[in-house]
Amino acid sequence: MLSTSEVVRSRLLAREGGEEVYELFIGPQHPSSGHMRFIVRLDGDVIVSVDPDIGYVHRTMEKLAEGREAVKAIPLLERMTIIDSHNVTIGLVRAMEKLLDVEPPPRARYLRTLLSEINRIASHLYGIGIAGIMLNHSTMFMWAFGDREVWLQLAEELSGARLTHTYSIPGGVRRDLPQGFADRAEKAVRYMTRRLEEYAKIFLENPQVRSRYEGVGVLKKGEASRLGIVGPNLRASGVKYDARLAEDYAAYSEVSFEVPTLEEGDAYARMRLRIEEIKQSMSIILQVLRKVPEGPIFAEKYLKLLPPKLREQVLSTGRVKLPALFASMKLPAGEAVARAEMGHGEIFYHLISDGSAKPYRLRVVTPSFRNVILFRYLMPGHRFMDFPAIYGSLDYFPPEADR
Amino acid sequence: MGNLVRSFVGHVRAVATGLRYLLLPNRMTVYYPEKLIELPEGYRGLIRYYPELCVQCGLCAMVCPAGAMKMYVKKGEKRGRPGVNYQRCIFCGFCADICPQNALEMTKVHDVAYEKLEDMILSPEEFAREVRSPALEEGAVKVKVIFSEERGLVHEPA
Repeated sequence: MLSTSEVVRSRLLAREGGEEVYELFIGPQHPSSGHMRFIVRLDGDVIVSVDPDIGYVHRTMEKLAEGREAVKAIPLLERMTIIDSHNVTIGLVRAMEKLLDVEPPPRARYLRTLLSEINRIASHLYGIGIAGIMLNHSTMFMWAFGDREVWLQLAEELSGARLTHTYSIPGGVRRDLPQGFADRAEKAVRYMTRRLEEYAKIFLENPQVRSRYEGVGVLKKGEASRLGIVGPNLRASGVKYDARLAEDYAAYSEVSFEVPTLEEGDAYARMRLRIEEIKQSMSIILQVLRKVPEGPIFAEKYLKLLPPKLREQVLSTGRVKLPALFASMKLPAGEAVARAEMGHGEIFYHLISDGSAKPYRLRVVTPSFRNVILFRYLMPGHRFMDFPAIYGSLDYFPPEADR
Repeated sequence: MGNLVRSFVGHVRAVATGLRYLLLPNRMTVYYPEKLIELPEGYRGLIRYYPELCVQCGLCAMVCPAGAMKMYVKKGEKRGRPGVNYQRCIFCGFCADICPQNALEMTKVHDVAYEKLEDMILSPEEFAREVRSPALEEGAVKVKVIFSEERGLVHEPA
């Protein structure tokens, strides 16, 4: 039986190759997207192997969620990917709705789609900005983060908070569309469309950037599906899989959109794919704003629990009042699974209830957790200079992987 | 040769795009605290308590996901009134949304700083006071956010 320190030594310090292999510990630090640590072994400046040493932002979220009433898990779990906070909780809300046997009304489903797509754009812009600064392209970083403000402003007007929206709740959404929202969103879409062309000129088609990205960190199609990669990283390798198509949630079955795929599978393809996805998200936003049906935003089942005065207030102000039941809502005994497509990829929830107000077990499989294995597979053979280029292109978000 | 030409054109286009913004900058910066963005309707900032509306049901404390809201029971009274601990509050707004009497309201103020940690724990009496933005009291100019096709976000005096 090895002692703990020996296990750590054998895992972290095992020699791979001869004495000339140099071990470099990167982190724990917060360089861009969260606390991370990598153990990189180098032969000269060629990477021999990379060990992603995860767990530095681990907050036991799944366990914490088991200690409180189910509704209270929504604001808790959205903090795992705070840049994409609606997409991260919509899966949980769907799982809870399956257990509670309640369906959101059509308007609520459209509004969920709207905020999900706003979040997806903001999340991709965050990823592109971080990738930019990893190549020392600070203009891309500043531009992407500046333009992200446009989408955060829209999300803030819709939900009342810049990042932690807590927008979807079992049975519907908490806020209706504010007045003049469609106009502002359309302006944002037109602005972003023009900006994406400029992103291409200054960043993606910039010969400096292309030479850092093209042919770097190639993930083959077969390898991508074998490793269980999700999200844009998978689609950039030519696999057309998207949880928005696979699982019918929100209003995705009622809007038309393409799932862009690319064949190359290199870092450049992954970056380009994010730009394509932003375009698709903007098209979905425009469709939702045109198609969003009139009607309630909260399920009748819960609305009728409100006193008549409050119900009238909900209908006139467009802000949901929660029935008292929500303070300690019991989840019927059983199991439910749900998945949703986040900016980083597919998130999967498994919710088990024993009939009490607190979930018996709440298990989350996050996209970054599934994608972190790519560091082991993509890096070896590249120069150390390519490490940040590949890291940036993967859009890895440590707080989400660690939970 | 073709590669060289493509690369040259790419460089020129990148530099030209950068130069355009050097001459016509597209800044969205707001110089806080001299200027303060007017927050949208329904913004979830600090919470205000209206004791005259409260029926002391305790739902706000029950629903609080962060355990920030607590009922304070006075001597001689059977039921308590809510107080909030801003060290813990996550501004989710569940308390205001579940209150059947609208006795809790999320205000548009979020930029309050406290000198001591203990000051962040508000008793029901302190909780019922009007929430004021220190920046506004210092004479900050309110600006509103305008969406623009050209510049994304533009901030104009409100």
